[in-house]
Amino acid sequence: MKKFFSSALARGLIWQVVGWALGAAFVTLIRILMGLKPLGIFFFTEPAWVFGGLVGAISFLAASGVISDWFKWAKGEETPEHHHDPDGWEKFINVSLDHKVIGIQYTLTALLLLVIGGIFSLIFRTELASSGLQFLTLQWYNTLMSLHGMVMIIGILLGIAGVINYIVPLLIGAQDMAFPRLNAFSYWLAPPAAVLLLSSLALGGFDTGWTGYPPLSARAPVGMQMFFLGVFVAGWSSILGALNTIATVARMRAKGMTAFRMPIFVWAAIATSIIALTATQLIGLSFQMVMFQRLFGMGFFDPAKGGNPILFQHLFWFYSHPAVYVFILPGLGVISELLPVFVRKPLFGYRWIALSSLGIALVGFLVWAHHMYTSGMNEYLSTPFMYSTLLVAVPTGVKFFSWVATIWKGKISSPIPTAFLFVLGGIVVFLMGGLSGPPNATVATDLQLQDTYWIVGHFHDTLFGGYVLPFFAAIYFWFPKATGRRMNETLGRIHFWLMTPSFIVLTLLMMRIGLLGMRRRIADYDAALGFDTYNLVMTISAFLIALSVLVFFINFFRSMKKGEPATGNVWNSRSPEWQVPSPMPAHNYDQPFEVVGEPYDYGLADSVYVRFAKEK
Amino acid sequence: MAHMNKSEALRQGVLIFVFLAVLTALEFFVASAIGSVTLLAAIALVKFGLVAYYYMHIYKLNLNDQDADRRSDAYKLATNRLGLWLFLLSDTFVFGGLAVSRFNLLGLTRPPLNPTLGLIVTSVLLLSSFFMNRAEVSMEHGDRKNFILFTSLTLALGLAFVVGVLGVEWPSAIAEGVTPSVSAAGAIFFMMTGMHAFHVVTGLVFLLIILRNGARGLYSSEKHWAVEAATVYWHFIDVVWIFFYPALYLIGKLIK
Repeated sequence: MKKFFSSALARGLIWQVVGWALGAAFVTLIRILMGLKPLGIFFFTEPAWVFGGLVGAISFLAASGVISDWFKWAKGEETPEHHHDPDGWEKFINVSLDHKVIGIQYTLTALLLLVIGGIFSLIFRTELASSGLQFLTLQWYNTLMSLHGMVMIIGILLGIAGVINYIVPLLIGAQDMAFPRLNAFSYWLAPPAAVLLLSSLALGGFDTGWTGYPPLSARAPVGMQMFFLGVFVAGWSSILGALNTIATVARMRAKGMTAFRMPIFVWAAIATSIIALTATQLIGLSFQMVMFQRLFGMGFFDPAKGGNPILFQHLFWFYSHPAVYVFILPGLGVISELLPVFVRKPLFGYRWIALSSLGIALVGFLVWAHHMYTSGMNEYLSTPFMYSTLLVAVPTGVKFFSWVATIWKGKISSPIPTAFLFVLGGIVVFLMGGLSGPPNATVATDLQLQDTYWIVGHFHDTLFGGYVLPFFAAIYFWFPKATGRRMNETLGRIHFWLMTPSFIVLTLLMMRIGLLGMRRRIADYDAALGFDTYNLVMTISAFLIALSVLVFFINFFRSMKKGEPATGNVWNSRSPEWQVPSPMPAHNYDQPFEVVGEPYDYGLADSVYVRFAKEK
Repeated sequence: MAHMNKSEALRQGVLIFVFLAVLTALEFFVASAIGSVTLLAAIALVKFGLVAYYYMHIYKLNLNDQDADRRSDAYKLATNRLGLWLFLLSDTFVFGGLAVSRFNLLGLTRPPLNPTLGLIVTSVLLLSSFFMNRAEVSMEHGDRKNFILFTSLTLALGLAFVVGVLGVEWPSAIAEGVTPSVSAAGAIFFMMTGMHAFHVVTGLVFLLIILRNGARGLYSSEKHWAVEAATVYWHFIDVVWIFFYPALYLIGKLIK
């Protein structure tokens, strides 16, 4: 307990609250001096809450010590290249510059946020189990439903950052990321962002959904502003993490690792980072503009002042559509990375897979307005956006062909390892998400499907297949690398067989009632529509998924201490990180390696991927 | 280009400044006499190219050192350069988003602002970019005295720009009826200039840091990454203004 209260995390959280209060008090004081109304319905006024929130986030960063090296640099002082981490668990709640520690910090924070987001969904899913309002008010329903979306999204972003941080430097043979302090800074932006985001619960919530469209978001309670601020801070975490990833891959690769000898996951990490680096700024900007519209009356999106609400949607979706590729590309990368290991065959069409990730990322920049067919935007825009959207199916199809061809006649061991189960589950569920996509991309059908539960089913399939299941696969696969122990296979299989079928039932029913006309984002529906049974089954499925996640956590924490020791190449992989004993030492490889062959030549005799330098 | 001697570097710096000044004057003339948006966009792009190549020396990104020792300072310097440019790329999307918003909201009209005032602050920023270049070149040649002189001049001009925009331009715009809360035109004007001024202020902080550390003798002709970074960042702020100035003051019909 003492270790906790002296940690960077605890210091940061305490100072965030203090900074928040001081910032809010400062604005309140100024308001008193200016003769404005000093207090609002949530004690402080809205500008005081917003300014305080910002000061609080900065206070968190200052108090956690993650920026102290930069201050020393500005003062002209030198700092040591590496900091020494403590040995125990407390290194995970203190500032560390080691990419492996930061990767685990990201992953644990991501899991925490995914659990919180999941609990929100269980609450409102229970409300929806039968028609009529049971126990939630409309405002609470809206707040939980909206927060479920954004908390999950940020959880996903952090999970991706976790896997990339942990794996990419190992895959390319680097000692660390290119900018270790920036890396730590990117991670430590996440906790204050999460606090800001969740604080909206206490400040009246908001009722806009995760998209925050004005004019609704321009008049929602103060909680809206906390949502905007939280996303803004988390967005910077994502941007700076992406910057670091690109620089790392560009500059720190092992000798001989040319572009087309990079592991496929590295390609995916690059593709995803290109989007996160650039497009994220636009969601930050759009949210900032609504914040200013609320604070200063700046009428960007207010038609009465000559503003244009559609502009918000353009800015917002310019990030928020590519964002789904940010979520899925690393997941699909994990699938392509792990498949050859488990089927003992070369990855089919390596170059095509590598380039398809970039293709999805680049085409992804040109599709945003397919969310806006019914928004009232200029109609001539619909057709080009329909075609560009359908074009995304081409590089995605390339991936599916490659996966199928890779599995074809592969040697699959029995029983199937849990990590591989999740890879296969990811492929199946993502296929469902992919096939349910074109109807929404096509203008004629989307006009019917817009804002129905069909859409909800579609994107849950893509995100589960493209992110959640591969994320679990990655955890099961690389857990021995991080801890030197394996996760329990029986519990893993229970996790998988509880989660995946329940999820498939859930989303198929979502699509079904969507086609029957159930709207998304509603707290209640008419019993006469006959959706009660469907909704009850969906709620039960949701709880089964929650149960499976509980099994996962039991497995996760139990295996850390009591798992079967696994220090060698447990998966018989060709990848460099498995050629050295687990867990990985602090500065990664003792001897540098050179890439001398193709990465995925499984099953070919005499083919070597990496060769380590001889001991000196 | 890295091996230019002092007088060559001076000549180049002056020449580029003259080009930029002439183009800025031409821009002003085109706007008042012809009003062609295409021409204005072309001039802005040429100015951007000149600044990006000669003042921001973007070509240094291309210096090939893949075989160098990974732990050497030279290798880390090149990595830092890439990181900085990636950051600028990211930042470009903020300003790009603002420019898109401006055209979405206002189209080919512009708020009633004082174009002469705009030209004056633009000239101040342009001149600061010239001195910034001189400061960096001085440090490249190990000339600490001139580095301090030119950095101080850049700082003073940068400060003058901020005062010009926030202290003179904003009140005069409000006097013209362009306020943040009356119309979307006013809102986008204050948002664009405000976001840009915020970047100028951060640039001033970096300048203060390199001025102080430079005066303490922490940089040398071989090792002055902080100076280079602050310089490139400062020129980036100039590049943004190269596009924002015509977008706000020159393009389109006046809103009555």
